[in-house]
Amino acid sequence: MSALKLETIDIVDPDLYVSRGYPHQEWALLRREAPVYRYERPNVDPFWAVTGHAQIVEVSRQPALFKSIQRLFMTIDEEGAPDPNEGILRQLLNMNPPEHGAYRGVVNRRFTPRGVQVLRQQIETITTEVLDGLVGREECDFVLDVSAKLPLAVIAEMFGIPRSDWDAMFRLSNMMIGPSDPEYGGSNTVKETLELARMEFFQYFNALVEDRRKNPRDDLASALANGKVNGEPLPIFELMSYFALLIIAGNETTRNATTGGLFAFINHPDQWRRLKADPSLVPHAVEEIVRWTSPVIQFNREAVADTELNGQKIRAGDLLCLIYPSANRDEAVFDHPDEFDIGRNPNPHIAFGIGEHFCLGANLARLELQVMFRQLAERLEAIELNGPIQRMRSSFVGGIKHMPVRYRLKPRA
Amino acid sequence: MRIVVDHNLCEGNGRCVEAAPGIFELRDDDRSYVLEEQPPASLRGKVELAARLCPRQAIRVLDK
Repeated sequence: MSALKLETIDIVDPDLYVSRGYPHQEWALLRREAPVYRYERPNVDPFWAVTGHAQIVEVSRQPALFKSIQRLFMTIDEEGAPDPNEGILRQLLNMNPPEHGAYRGVVNRRFTPRGVQVLRQQIETITTEVLDGLVGREECDFVLDVSAKLPLAVIAEMFGIPRSDWDAMFRLSNMMIGPSDPEYGGSNTVKETLELARMEFFQYFNALVEDRRKNPRDDLASALANGKVNGEPLPIFELMSYFALLIIAGNETTRNATTGGLFAFINHPDQWRRLKADPSLVPHAVEEIVRWTSPVIQFNREAVADTELNGQKIRAGDLLCLIYPSANRDEAVFDHPDEFDIGRNPNPHIAFGIGEHFCLGANLARLELQVMFRQLAERLEAIELNGPIQRMRSSFVGGIKHMPVRYRLKPRA
Repeated sequence: MRIVVDHNLCEGNGRCVEAAPGIFELRDDDRSYVLEEQPPASLRGKVELAARLCPRQAIRVLDK
């Protein structure tokens, strides 16, 4: 690794994420030599790459000094990309206090530890059905046949979206998160893909809102459609954006944690045997899966005033890019950070972020992952790769699009 | 020391109750309440751990 040099490493080219996955060696170099590093390259706007755990926490704790903006993440300049400062939606991730808290308050009680407990039985049932779908075969695409199905079903059920529309939600989410991946964007430019997906999403959500204003139910769609911020109904663009945020975030990230988690177990068979022998490890295992996979790679902040971070002079208007998977391998926080250890405890990872913007769906994601890995540990008798995994072209979300596996699965007990 | 929980941030994740039982309590409104606002100094370690672990960073530990 002595060949890597700060001045020449690349951490934003989405093609690198396709071919190699996460650049852990580059991030380790940054943490060691410059956890707050001025990243200046010809193909990307300059920004501060924040890779240390302590520094990401410090920035996240001060939303008034380091504000959230329309531009969510850094990537290389590409032909046909939209204006990054415009942003395709306006939702929680782009908002700041006090507006952020007011918007979050519209639905946040459905996502607290207590709030998600009412979904437990439903999540168990959906998971069992998903795994039943594998019985009678020996090969599948674990992403399409398993990982994608549970979170999509759960968030769609929470919204009251009928099953016939779930495929559309899946397709549009992929277009919004991976618009520069040819599998999702086709021959369209990134801008065209995003605009098409947004238009179709908004048309769909608009009909849903109209229905729930006439016939309110006890679902998320009704809560948003009839929700108020500071006593007023949500403006239409923010309302549509809120729907999109929850649908996208509700099915992309948990999907990738599930796939990445099973991939980690395939590569660490000792940990898989350990989980099967002791299912009481599931909650710890899930935290380790989330640390290990860290599906969200980065979120941006913008400095509101001149300040200092880890000795670096940050100026008002500077972009800071918080790189979560790097923080989750920080040697200063984790013993043997590059070991996948499902008994790790404590495990203060920040894969869900921390502070004002802590992932709204973290408790739901944890519950889904716990149920999924408990059932997998019970029923999966053998598992191996049946071809290479295919990664999404993105420096924003660490997506695995396909993971062919060969397996032996017990029928339902 | 004095403990303050910001109820605009707290969302009832309950890490504080795990880290410092008897000092924090989760109530039906999904928020954490401080049972002992000025606990003895011997509990400072636990209180600071609770503040550090809080996902929303809603806990402030003040020096009186």
